[in-house]
Amino acid sequence: MTFLERTTDARRFRQWEGNVEADYIYTSGVAGERFFVALRDDGKMLASRCTACGLDYLPPRLFCEDCFLELTEFVDVPPEGRVAAVTMAHLDRRGTPLSRPQVWALVTFEGIRGGLVHRLLVPPAKARVGLAVRAKLKARGDRVGAITDIEGFEPVRS
Amino acid sequence: MRVGIIGVGMTAFRPSTPEYSWKELMFEAASRAYADAGVDPRTEVDSFVTCAEDYYEGFGIFDEFTPDQLGGALRPVCTVTGDGLQGLANAFMQIQTGLIDIAVVEAHSKASDILTLEGIIEHGLDPIWNKPLGGHPFLIAGLEADAFVRKTRTSVKAFAAVVAKNRTNALRNPLAAYAAKVDAEQVLSSAERFAPLRALDIAAPADGGVVLVLASEAAARRRHANPVWIRGIGWASDSPTLETRDWTQAAYAQLAAEMAYRLAKVRRPATEIDFAEVDDRFSYKELQHLEAVGLAKKGEAGRTVLKGGYDPGGALPVNVAGGSLGCGNVFEATGLHRAAEVALQLRGDAGSHQIDGVRVGVAQSWRYIPSATGAVAVLGVGQ
Ligand SMILES: [Zn+2]
Repeated sequence: MTFLERTTDARRFRQWEGNVEADYIYTSGVAGERFFVALRDDGKMLASRCTACGLDYLPPRLFCEDCFLELTEFVDVPPEGRVAAVTMAHLDRRGTPLSRPQVWALVTFEGIRGGLVHRLLVPPAKARVGLAVRAKLKARGDRVGAITDIEGFEPVRS
Repeated sequence: MRVGIIGVGMTAFRPSTPEYSWKELMFEAASRAYADAGVDPRTEVDSFVTCAEDYYEGFGIFDEFTPDQLGGALRPVCTVTGDGLQGLANAFMQIQTGLIDIAVVEAHSKASDILTLEGIIEHGLDPIWNKPLGGHPFLIAGLEADAFVRKTRTSVKAFAAVVAKNRTNALRNPLAAYAAKVDAEQVLSSAERFAPLRALDIAAPADGGVVLVLASEAAARRRHANPVWIRGIGWASDSPTLETRDWTQAAYAQLAAEMAYRLAKVRRPATEIDFAEVDDRFSYKELQHLEAVGLAKKGEAGRTVLKGGYDPGGALPVNVAGGSLGCGNVFEATGLHRAAEVALQLRGDAGSHQIDGVRVGVAQSWRYIPSATGAVAVLGVGQ
């Protein structure tokens, strides 16, 4: 009952093509700043510690999601992690097919709550859960203090 | 105070809708719901709730754009930035206050207006930790499906069985956008996307609108309506942080279900619920969600779907209307569509996909990639 008459001639339809201009800077915050400066300058990863819960968070944050305490202590993340889940992406971020699939993983670290989702730098056939990996960093001079300073994770023994 | 659904309105779900603006989609769904309920929105509805996310709409302050096409100008109107089931929970609570007799809930998708859908979904990723890596947002579903397969020892054949069931079920739903006679082999040989997920494991976008009219028990009685009761409703969020959330199970759905079951006094969901409509926008999600809401034991949903247990004639029919795999992904309208389907089944108005003798059904929603938020509603008829 909605409209008495509906157009069937698709050539008559009008549209307006528009876009939403939306540029931002995203501030890393106190905990992010600690992580990214340590990553850039010392080539290491930090987790934030909740002394009440005995949890070390990666990515580090200023607050504990379990007890809501403010977190002020930071600890080193062990250099060696493990692949906890893995996927092969056959499309790029815009949905265009990739000529070679990208391998992605959730990497976790012993004693750490959380981990990192990142590229896994192995051929798809070698990608497997349980693989021992470490972060492959860009050269010191190329690092800017961002998650992209990590190129991905590579096997500890290749 | 009991609250019931007294009107259901839906448009067809379609891959694109070039002849309608999104406001007209809403207007059509609303007109159908008001006709179904026999309600005049200009004089008889006390409150209007819409459910939307600005980025999907393509403009800001979505709630300001809503009243006219719902019949809600100069009336209490609000928007829930969430899935339609979260809007249903809000309308339910508004009626519980006693301030509102009749409330309307709306959700829609005009996904075909979005030229850069991947980019819009990508905006949901953390802009410091995840998005700069430049991966397609669906790789999160690939990782989660991988974690689910490992934890529950579910076969990818079970994913294919979900797709085959739901696309085939959609053949008997005239509103479905992607009805097709699909078999598991076709799914397992479709293009690889985000391993272990293939092209057919992923619901394609659709346009469509859904409107429900809710009434207090007293208002329903005054109108001689035959309501479908909202016996219980709940919602919950897991950690939004990808790295610290639970990757092996849908904790949000489990918590939402516990809340809904508590209100509905459902103690043994597996025996008390007759059928379910759950989010299946990636095939594994149907299985993960069934386990989360207590309708399957952990690790058993995959084996059950392979045995036909979730078929329309199975012990627990699931997504009989075709799910999102069969009807299309209508984004924030997904959960409200599930509630509408449950309501139609309970009224006996589900047409050629009607299941016989159902009295209690569950609708479950998820807020899509990359969220870990969901809602659950228990609907029933009779006392
Ligand atoms: Zn704590």
